[in-house]
Amino acid sequence: MTGRTVIHNARLIDPATGRDETGGVLTENGVILDSGSAISKTVTADVKIDAGGKMLAPGLIDLRVKTGEPGAENKETLQTASDAAAAGGVTTFVVMPDTDPVIDTVALVDFIQRRAEGVAKVKVYPAGGLTLGLDGAKMSEIGLIREAGAAFFTNGDRPVEDAGVLRRAMSYAASFDALVASRPDTPALSKNTVMNAGAFAARLGLRGTPPEAEWIALERDLMLAETTGVRLLADCISTARSLAAVERARKAGVKAACSVASYSLFFNELDVGDYLTYCKVQPPFRTEADRMALIDGLKRGVIDAVVSAHDPQPTEDKRLPIADAAFGAVGLETLLPCLLSIAIREDIPLVKALRPVTSGPADLLGLPQGRLAKGAPADFVLFDPAAASSKAGSCAHG
Amino acid sequence: MADYAFSHRHLLGIEGLNRLDIETLLELGDKYVELNRRRVKHADTLAGRTLVNLFFENSTRTQGSFEIAGRRLGADVITMPIATSSVKKGETLIDTAMTLNAMRPDLLVIRHGSSGAVKLLSRKVDCAVINAGDGTHEHPTQALLDALTIRRRVGEISGMRVAICGDILHSRVARSNVACLNILGAQVRLIAPRTLTPPGAADWGAEVFTDMREGLEGCDVVMMLRLQQERMDGAYLPSAREFFHFYGLDADKLNHANPGAFVMHPGPMNRGVEIESGIADHKTRSLITEQVEMGVAVRMAVLETLAKNAPEPGAAK
Repeated sequence: MTGRTVIHNARLIDPATGRDETGGVLTENGVILDSGSAISKTVTADVKIDAGGKMLAPGLIDLRVKTGEPGAENKETLQTASDAAAAGGVTTFVVMPDTDPVIDTVALVDFIQRRAEGVAKVKVYPAGGLTLGLDGAKMSEIGLIREAGAAFFTNGDRPVEDAGVLRRAMSYAASFDALVASRPDTPALSKNTVMNAGAFAARLGLRGTPPEAEWIALERDLMLAETTGVRLLADCISTARSLAAVERARKAGVKAACSVASYSLFFNELDVGDYLTYCKVQPPFRTEADRMALIDGLKRGVIDAVVSAHDPQPTEDKRLPIADAAFGAVGLETLLPCLLSIAIREDIPLVKALRPVTSGPADLLGLPQGRLAKGAPADFVLFDPAAASSKAGSCAHG
Repeated sequence: MADYAFSHRHLLGIEGLNRLDIETLLELGDKYVELNRRRVKHADTLAGRTLVNLFFENSTRTQGSFEIAGRRLGADVITMPIATSSVKKGETLIDTAMTLNAMRPDLLVIRHGSSGAVKLLSRKVDCAVINAGDGTHEHPTQALLDALTIRRRVGEISGMRVAICGDILHSRVARSNVACLNILGAQVRLIAPRTLTPPGAADWGAEVFTDMREGLEGCDVVMMLRLQQERMDGAYLPSAREFFHFYGLDADKLNHANPGAFVMHPGPMNRGVEIESGIADHKTRSLITEQVEMGVAVRMAVLETLAKNAPEPGAAK
């Protein structure tokens, strides 16, 4: 955007400040000059956009997106993912390092950045692999990769099983104040499973992941974060007890943040229904009590980030018996609709419901976007909440 | 009975059937038991119809039972040898189904190692699909043949106490039987060590026991399950001999059940692991070979019933 642009007659939603008011934003060369109730169509600008009373919020930030680039471009490319993001109001996203080759060197970080610059409509940041090749054995060049622009470090969907390796990697990352994201999982308990363990999985004759698989790994990660002093993002926690553990650790002074996949707020295990492979995701859809506890966490503002966990899979990997089908579902286009419909149903103010997709993740990464502040990038999403939330039902499908 | 409309296109599981559905199939099964005991065991109910057996898992008795059932009703029966088919060449399950569907079978009998796989296939074909066992989910014709066996021997199933013992966790037979016996009004008990009891089994409408002697008190029928060793990834049990000591059916444990209680087993048996030979071969108390006989009859009933429901060729889908 070049020149001066004003968007007026909008309902401004700014989770960073808690502002919810009618007004406008004035931008110049892609940067916010001013925002608030004083901004109207009378402001001098080259382009004037009447928002027609719709809602204007900072563009969404999504901390967990998988593309197939490089290595599996048939699943998703940076370009198609960025198209999906733009369609869903996501203006910044982080790509996970689980690619082929793994994003575990400065060169790969550089590759993602250059590719994204060329093809992406939105801002794309790579996350760096915490260990080389995500093998869980040797740490990657955390300092150099951070300098090259990695948003945080993670082993993606391949948890570091060796606590000694994780402890040293966290300890080293702490020297650079790098954020380490870890999706808590204990492979010994979760391998070859399809959905949440429990009565429903047993009835379907499917192997389930017990919640202990998440609890055990999470408690370990929190303890190691405590002793190493690293900043930890407990990635995609999915149970009531996990949220309580993060809150407890935080009270004790551990630098622990947490993210939740949008599907964990929207679906429960019963939605797997008739062996729906499109509902086969990691972590799995949990119980209704877990879902409600996470929604309560959203209300109380203790969830730092809600992520799409976007991970598209080709049809041929999904149209299989559920035990053989791939994990993963799309989510970029439905992240906002999903949160809006939850906000409407559960009566959560939008400044609160949208914080984990705007200023929440921005603060974790130290980014200027995700807020309607002077000097922040002019990344916005303009939406009609009633119309958008009606799309939420397709969350995680297709 | 003749007019009863069985309102299902496929037989994918016991779940979804009602009492009348089941009783109708059992009554028709009774009729076929009589036919099967005659010298000439032939009917032409399915003359001109094609039955395809599609077994992705090895099976001797179920596959043979369906073959005989189909032939006795006059159908053309083809058993696809999956082990040497294109599935091994990387063709997906759904592609296999579409290919077979194009050959216009009327009845498709499927066994597959993955729970839900038969249901998945049923959505892709135009003919009637019969689940001959999917993973650890359901095996409906086994439950029906068990019910027919009990009904003919003991009479009214309602109010009877039936124990199902052994590897419940990995057993599709147990899941289908619990559902079927519940619908027919039996009191069902599940007896297994904790590692072989599915989570939430107590909510299936069955009482759960870990002590076999306690569990067998007052039981009229004892159903033993095969210890599915090939399904076990790891150590659910310390050893076969420890299992036999605590959960193998022997004369002593059987004495805790009602006097004259019947013994059943879906086969194939591991003698000396889940059942003592003397019990398995007991002349008056073991119903194990009778179960096999009832299997053919009940499968004939299922094939006939579903063939009636098959849409006319060319009918709008």
